[in-house]
Amino acid sequence: MSVVDLPKPNTEFPKLTVPNGLGTGPIPIAPYISQAWYEQERDRVFGRAWLCMGRVEQLPEADSFMVKEIEICGVIALITRDAKDQIRAFHNVCSHRANLVVHETSGKGSRFVCKYHNWAYRNTGDCIGVPDRANFFDLDMKKCGLTPIACETWEGWIFINLQKQPEVTLTEFLGNFGEAFRDAPAPAATQAFTVDVTSMRANWKVTIDAFCESYHVPVLHPSTLGDTFANDSNRYARPLSGNVRGAHRTMTTFGNPNYLPPESSLIERLAYSNIDTGNTLGANDAADMQALQNHPAINPNKVPNWATEICWLFPNFLIFYSPGGFFTLEFWPLSVNTTRWVARMHTPVAADVRQRFQQEHYSCRMAEIFLEDVGNLERQQKAMESGGKSEIILQDGEFLLRHSIETIQKWVASATVREALAE
Amino acid sequence: MRMQTSLPASLPNSLPAGFEALEPFVDYWAGATNDIRWDRRARASMAEIRSFYEAAVPRADEGLAYLEQFPLAAMPDDATRLLRLLLSLPHAAMAVEFHGQPRAAASPFPHGMHIGRGPWPQGW
Ligand code: FES
Ligand SMILES: [Fe+2]
Repeated sequence: MSVVDLPKPNTEFPKLTVPNGLGTGPIPIAPYISQAWYEQERDRVFGRAWLCMGRVEQLPEADSFMVKEIEICGVIALITRDAKDQIRAFHNVCSHRANLVVHETSGKGSRFVCKYHNWAYRNTGDCIGVPDRANFFDLDMKKCGLTPIACETWEGWIFINLQKQPEVTLTEFLGNFGEAFRDAPAPAATQAFTVDVTSMRANWKVTIDAFCESYHVPVLHPSTLGDTFANDSNRYARPLSGNVRGAHRTMTTFGNPNYLPPESSLIERLAYSNIDTGNTLGANDAADMQALQNHPAINPNKVPNWATEICWLFPNFLIFYSPGGFFTLEFWPLSVNTTRWVARMHTPVAADVRQRFQQEHYSCRMAEIFLEDVGNLERQQKAMESGGKSEIILQDGEFLLRHSIETIQKWVASATVREALAE
Repeated sequence: MRMQTSLPASLPNSLPAGFEALEPFVDYWAGATNDIRWDRRARASMAEIRSFYEAAVPRADEGLAYLEQFPLAAMPDDATRLLRLLLSLPHAAMAVEFHGQPRAAASPFPHGMHIGRGPWPQGW
């Protein structure tokens, strides 16, 4: 592990809320527990924003496909890559009697056949087969293709928009986030180990919020994370920088450079003994990590003791860049108080058995941390719904949460997307 | 990519020669996937976790050294079994080295969280 300068004392941590143009008052609890608010979010946020579906590498070759469900809007999106590598999205719904066409969640195939009456579609959406077509009435097969969903990519990220005619392009939607993170590396994007939470009992914002502030880390994760995210120079895990970027937002969190597994942690020490990561929380190799650290928007102030750059793509998608690698989290509302979420941890294909052993340690540590969050958030949701409080209080280090709720409020209040995006 | 998850049920001498002393732990601790290894640890008592940890830790470095002779994605069955057994050590270590109990105090069990895919090249 390299020698690092002692971190700066607490007094020099940057202020984030006011300089980013945010308010400082309490936040109402209603948006986290109200059915009426949930329906507004469905129509005005998820129904109008560009939604990140993941990486192009999740469609690894020509004729790959994946199915993504956006439960809050009742949409089942079929995302395809054709022989010419064009990526498209469709409603996964048959033009005959509207059955589900593709049942798998991902796979390979240039054509899809509905299993009800065998109507067939190409992965370009065209309808290419209707059994006993002569028995229909003036059937125009050109009008029988799969219904498209607006789909664009940016820097290897796939987005869809559920508006029939999106009001703004993906570029406009990404705004200065898109400019700042152009050419950001995506190391080991071709594979990931995944953590799936099919349903937990907490509002989607309660859930995503917990991954976007480090204030709770020393308290909730004392043994799994505590000493890695705080030390005597930063006892409360204050962030190192933070920027509002249009509808999106980013924050640099602190890592304790002096963290070493204790003597008694024999397996933790064995796991990290032969790996050149210089980072006991990561699983990527040194060259990949250097590429991340060289990017101007990742740890933009280039402070020495950073742990992660959290990129929060409005409304529900997180990209974490860290000296130990790169991972994503996506949060999908199932109801006002239930959420499905998925973590994709991008680590290299292990070159040898010792790296594989270290990755097992990394993966079970991450799962353990996530599980601590799940239990905590289910308790929080219940308490929020109890009516004991009508507001929550946010501190400066929780500014990402404040910008998230302020942005959601703005989208709910705005008649048009352009109005919602206006400064 | 198809995940290779099934091996013949463990037999006498199911581990490579020299690792016979770990044989009693194979059935429970050589789980086929990351998710199974996690679940087995979460369901075990602290005494069971400690007995596996204390028996396997002194052999872990030697075990990894033995496995280094094989390509990761193409090991003989007995070596794969040893690998899976050793891969349960990080899970056991969560309990022994981090929590001091089988599961984190703040975490629910049972729960709906799963490792969908483990680390690569195996994906388990
Ligand atoms: S509903 Fe698909 S073929 Fe009839
Ligand atoms: Fe957490």
